[in-house]
Amino acid sequence: MTTAVSISGVSIGFGPVTVIDDLSLDVPASTTFGVVGESGSGKTTLLRAALGLQDVRRGEIRLMGERFGGSLAETRRRARVIQPIFQDPAAALSPRCRIGVLMDEVAKVLGEPRDALRQRLDEILRRLGLPRAILDKYPHQISGGQARRAAIARALLMRPRILAADEPTAGLDVSVQGELLNLLQELRRTEEITLLIITHNLAVVRLIADRVAVMQSGRIVEQGEANAVFARPQHAYTRELLNSWPATS
Amino acid sequence: MSVAVSNLSVDYRGHGPDLHAVRDVSFVIPPGKMLGLVGESGSGKSTVAFALMGLLQANARIISGDMQIGGRSYDLTKNATAPLRGHGLAMIFQDPLLSLNPVFTIGAHLIEILRVAAPGESAGRRRAMAEEALAKVKLTDPRRRLDQYPHELSGGMRQRVVIAMALLAKPVLLIADEPTTALDVTVEASVMREICALRDELNCSVLLITHSLGLVTKYCDDMAVLYAGEMLEQGPARAIQRRPGHPYSRLLLDCEVAIDQPRREPAMANSFKVIGGELPDLRRPVSGCVFAARCDRAVADCAVTVPSAVRLDEEGRHKARCLRIGAS
Repeated sequence: MTTAVSISGVSIGFGPVTVIDDLSLDVPASTTFGVVGESGSGKTTLLRAALGLQDVRRGEIRLMGERFGGSLAETRRRARVIQPIFQDPAAALSPRCRIGVLMDEVAKVLGEPRDALRQRLDEILRRLGLPRAILDKYPHQISGGQARRAAIARALLMRPRILAADEPTAGLDVSVQGELLNLLQELRRTEEITLLIITHNLAVVRLIADRVAVMQSGRIVEQGEANAVFARPQHAYTRELLNSWPATS
Repeated sequence: MSVAVSNLSVDYRGHGPDLHAVRDVSFVIPPGKMLGLVGESGSGKSTVAFALMGLLQANARIISGDMQIGGRSYDLTKNATAPLRGHGLAMIFQDPLLSLNPVFTIGAHLIEILRVAAPGESAGRRRAMAEEALAKVKLTDPRRRLDQYPHELSGGMRQRVVIAMALLAKPVLLIADEPTTALDVTVEASVMREICALRDELNCSVLLITHSLGLVTKYCDDMAVLYAGEMLEQGPARAIQRRPGHPYSRLLLDCEVAIDQPRREPAMANSFKVIGGELPDLRRPVSGCVFAARCDRAVADCAVTVPSAVRLDEEGRHKARCLRIGAS
């Protein structure tokens, strides 16, 4: 099985503080991989490093087997492999750009003719249940749910091999959270794509992830098949996380 | 002392017609009990909290509403509860930094409350009481915390400080508006335990405002379900969880992802429940049941007839507003 994201011996720090300490992790291609852990455990920092948004002090990160540098050309090459979905969709959509203009940026990066791109875009919008009319709108003119889907549409337009989502369901009501999750699940069923999902929603990650890693203080304290980790947690911290979860049944 | 809110209605002025954010909401919280007010974004749950505290924005107008505390009645349309803030009413916000002044130490916040709550005590005694309160909410190293500033503490620790402040103010009603939304699950559990401990120690009424049904069923005595500004169901939390009377409550409970939900293999085969449709436009008058357009049990009459509360238990504690109750 190929490895979509391969992190080996990575350390990341801010000034005197070490946030990630000699961390290694392999995310198998065409799977959903969940990273859970409390605030400050370093999960978002790790994701930013995979996206090339965060310098690594030591170690190496490979995406689909390749290393990427920091130059503009390398950044563009990386963008075809991995795309982010951020927690706050508004942060991913420029308030000064109509949604359509934002989508055309993708054509520039890919060097794809605009007509061909618009054709692919129509298909993606249809799948995400977004009306074409949103292309003429600014981010503030569409609903929060639409903005979230528009950010995903933009990410998908890049035809990435890996989608990296940071807390994709945070702040969503339960009635709409399912819609986003069903969409991610459908992507997994229909595309050759790897999903790397950072979340603190244990109940959700338990159902969508093939494998999970539990982070605490910049280290991975436990990882394995989602089923096994949730059924028989080995680490004390994982057990504490699971015990704290409020149950409705 | 029991706390009762009756017939609360709040409008917001904006462009175009007024938005009727809360319509005719009533509930009772007995002393020593916690009521969980659940609702999704736009349901008006925070508007209820701010209306009780007299902290609504300038473009909001309370159309009707009374709050009764221990037999005394306060007219909410005249902002009569505003003088009660800090003297009977206390609030915990989602972001504890809203309640903490960045240029004052933790000790200064607590001692300021004691100046009102315990005017006869000496400065030394107040400091000791403040330290005691921090220890009670299980903040580690309370003596050192007194001299620290809010930015030196983590989110969970700050929320504990705010709970300690509420503890010293000895409120009759404590309102907690999404107190754990910004916190991790492990911290969430401990902060909720402290809120329950405060309720038990002071024997006060607690109104927990949240969008998490899990939190309500785990920690609250009673539950009230708000949708688009209207109360659709209320009653003992356990009773609603076991046998929801309103279709909306049932759909909401169904959407909640349980930690022990059966998992299908492969993981990508698992799907999630949703409630189709969108919130009604509250600037237009609502006819019939406010949830009718999204309801899976609605009949033609639901869009026309306003449902009144139906009793679902003998004592009349569990009530739901649905025309279809009893229909097959």
